[in-house]
Amino acid sequence: MVCGSMSGCLGALEAENESVECSTFSAGHKDDGKLRILTYDILALSDSMVEEFTNRTGYEIEFIKEDDAGGILDQMMLTKQAQQADLMIGLDNTYLQTAIDNCLLRETLYTQSDNYQNISEEAARPYSGALAVPFDQGPVCLNYDENFVDGENVSEPASLWNLTEETWRGKTAFPSPVTSSPGRSFMVATIDYFENDDDESTNAFDWWQAMASNEAIITSGWTEAYETHYTGGYGEYTTGYIGDAHLTVSYCQSPGVEAYYSSNYTHSTSLTLPKSTIQQVEYAGIINGAANIPGAELFIEYLLSPEINAQMPENNLMYPVLDGYGLPETDGYRYHSDIPQENANVEMTRINEEMTNWLDKWQSATE
Amino acid sequence: MTRTGQHNVLVKVLQWTTVCCFVTLTVLPLLYAIARLESVTGINSVVAVQNFFTTQSSLQALKFTLLEATISTIATVIIGLPIAWCLGRYNWKNIKLLRAILAVPFVTPSIVVAMGFLMLIDVGGPLTAMGIDLRLESGMVGELSNFTNWENPGHFIALITAHVWFNISLVMRFVEPTLSTMDRTWEEQMHFLPAGQNRLSRIRNLWLPIIGPAVLCAATLCFIFSFTSFALVRWLTPNQDTLETLMANSGGSAGIYGYRIDTSEVVLSTSIVQLIILSIAIICATSIQRRHSTIHAVIAESDAKQISSRPNNLAKMIIALGVCFAILPLMLVTIASFRIRNATTGEFTYSSEAWSEAWSGDYSTTAIPDALSNSLIYCLITVTFALPIGWIISSCINRLEQEQKATTAKIVEFATMIPLALSAVMIGLGILLGLLKWSPGLFGWAIIPAIPHIIITTPFVIRIILPALRSIDSSYHEQAIMLGMSPIKAWWHGKAAFLRAPLVVAGALTMAFSLGEFGASWILVRSGSWDTLSVLIDQLMSQPKFNPLIQPMAMAAATVLMLLTFILFFIAERFRDNGEGSGF
Repeated sequence: MVCGSMSGCLGALEAENESVECSTFSAGHKDDGKLRILTYDILALSDSMVEEFTNRTGYEIEFIKEDDAGGILDQMMLTKQAQQADLMIGLDNTYLQTAIDNCLLRETLYTQSDNYQNISEEAARPYSGALAVPFDQGPVCLNYDENFVDGENVSEPASLWNLTEETWRGKTAFPSPVTSSPGRSFMVATIDYFENDDDESTNAFDWWQAMASNEAIITSGWTEAYETHYTGGYGEYTTGYIGDAHLTVSYCQSPGVEAYYSSNYTHSTSLTLPKSTIQQVEYAGIINGAANIPGAELFIEYLLSPEINAQMPENNLMYPVLDGYGLPETDGYRYHSDIPQENANVEMTRINEEMTNWLDKWQSATE
Repeated sequence: MTRTGQHNVLVKVLQWTTVCCFVTLTVLPLLYAIARLESVTGINSVVAVQNFFTTQSSLQALKFTLLEATISTIATVIIGLPIAWCLGRYNWKNIKLLRAILAVPFVTPSIVVAMGFLMLIDVGGPLTAMGIDLRLESGMVGELSNFTNWENPGHFIALITAHVWFNISLVMRFVEPTLSTMDRTWEEQMHFLPAGQNRLSRIRNLWLPIIGPAVLCAATLCFIFSFTSFALVRWLTPNQDTLETLMANSGGSAGIYGYRIDTSEVVLSTSIVQLIILSIAIICATSIQRRHSTIHAVIAESDAKQISSRPNNLAKMIIALGVCFAILPLMLVTIASFRIRNATTGEFTYSSEAWSEAWSGDYSTTAIPDALSNSLIYCLITVTFALPIGWIISSCINRLEQEQKATTAKIVEFATMIPLALSAVMIGLGILLGLLKWSPGLFGWAIIPAIPHIIITTPFVIRIILPALRSIDSSYHEQAIMLGMSPIKAWWHGKAAFLRAPLVVAGALTMAFSLGEFGASWILVRSGSWDTLSVLIDQLMSQPKFNPLIQPMAMAAATVLMLLTFILFFIAERFRDNGEGSGF
């Protein structure tokens, strides 16, 4: 007998029932006193910070690292019935709702503590429930090379449509929203930008299609776009640099970071057109299925303590979330970090509901 | 039943159990992955393949994969053949060292190769100094692009060059032994025959039949390795996808119910298309390799050994160029580990700062000693399993051949080559899903990433041990039994004693391949405590490099991995027979 499909043939092997109702999942590991943190590569929690936590609490830490926020969500979804970590650090406001809807997180007690009130209004805006706590933030926006946009031969774009002109043909690089978290945030920003512009006959995907026709470079991740293609950043000093794009997606504080690492020098700046920027907030949350819940609670508290959170600009190149803390002034970090005029505003629930549809449309537009 | 009869039955049971377990270990993850992806996407594999051919991005990736693999194969044969010819036809001092240097690229971890070639083509690198700018595509490469309207020709040329570098030893390994053991009098006699009067007719009537199968064999394997190339494509052609990179990009979110179904469909359809193409290539490789072994055996049995002449200047130049080509990218990696950008001036200075940083590590990057010990643990586990499994399966194939069961032997041989046709992403995903289904507790078990290493390296063990088993004279074993030795003693003195060298070669190469394995590790190794050297290099290279030390730290890790691989490979070379015709 010939089987129509492998899933039919292997029905007995593949009879997994995926429940959508929230219940407490069992842990995929034992509570052995270790705290397992699922995070992404660049979370630069320094040795001393982690050792200090271990000294204070007695919990040893093991990091399980993914490439980015998308990788964290993928891992939690795939290991839903046997979670491997206790705490996730790094899902942002474009991914968080999916994690919540899929019951991947459990409530943290931190939101009931007095310290929670220290979190700034801006950081608490996208989500203020008990399933996740913001720990850093930063506006995603377009960065451009001031050597190219010199104000004489090429002027600063006054609208995203300017980027579809001949001047910018083949000179822009965008991380794909399918595989990159800043790329995804920027695509969401474009949705809001074109929904609120004067022209009602076009939408974001018309713009993306026009950008694809204007030979925009699409990369799989932020690193490839910023480091390999962008001429305004540190990429020109790295191996593999191509330098064929004068504009890319990064953060509004990226020029500040460039200056911080290059003794107050940068020729990169941000394009802060209203609604073309979007606030990315990153969260920490206890995983549904965590074995070491007390340890996870303590780490969230530690992460949100002023001594640690204030170091986010140096360690994770993002803004702190606590009221009264910002970027350091050292070597032009704050001076070169641009402030958005008006961030795009798209509710997390809408992002979650429409993301699949948006990604499909984006892929069709840029193919 | 006699004692010998009982022993034979036991041996057969052991051999068939091992074959079945290995094939199951190879195929089951694949079936799991396919079943899960079909279930998640709601379409069967046939529909998925149909959809593949209607999706623009998938078709582009297929075209690019076929194009780069074909051109890489042709270029490798064109460049590798003169080197193999010169090595095989002339009498070289330090031939073992030359062979080792020229063959080292094949066992160099692909992630290190990628780093080496990035340094080679980088602005300020040796190639741009010669006016060949493959990365920024300025100068003559830019003109070529403008003239032909070919997008990114520099990146494509860099990829092909890296594939040639990586695969050149395949041509050498297959062709050189045939040439070096061939009786020179055949060539002289050919001159007197009507069919060998001119060079063209000698090529057609002498050289093609003799080295043709060897070249074809090398070419087929070169096609397979170029087709499945992952790290090189990822770093050298950033604007292009192959089937393997397409799957890796979608692999993370594949197989999840109700979430990113599109990625599951991409992985399902792409892996099946890849499986079909590579299965055909492997059937060809197995069949050609059998023919090559037969011809090589005939040539090697010839009593009248060839008398090689001293190399002429042209041969010396070709080998010197080959050696430079083999060494240059690796030297550049080492140099780059000491080259630090001054953040203020943008100029480069040389110091060991990156080595100190990489050696000590922190919580965001594993320290080199930790990654090194993880890599060594994985490769020791791999060799502990792959070597006996490969040996037992080789013995099974050899026994079937001796029992005149050629068809069964061919089927078993083909089945053991299946891992070469599988995507590391599919193996990784299948193991992950299988574990979640049957024993989620094992998911975080550090040993798990060794499973794909065992699956991937066992075919190489078989390629090395099987020809050696075939060449053992069975009368030694029979005589040992006649002398009254126990079955184990007879096996030891009549068979195992002759396999010492191939076993050392297989062991060292298995460890080298395991050390450099990247694709499956990339999918499965997620715990920071178990990062291997190859994963550490990729992690460092993927980090934002505002900090000027990050890239040299990656190069330092690559240098350590490279040195470790070299040591293992030189051990292997010391034990390799001079005229050995085995695949690797």
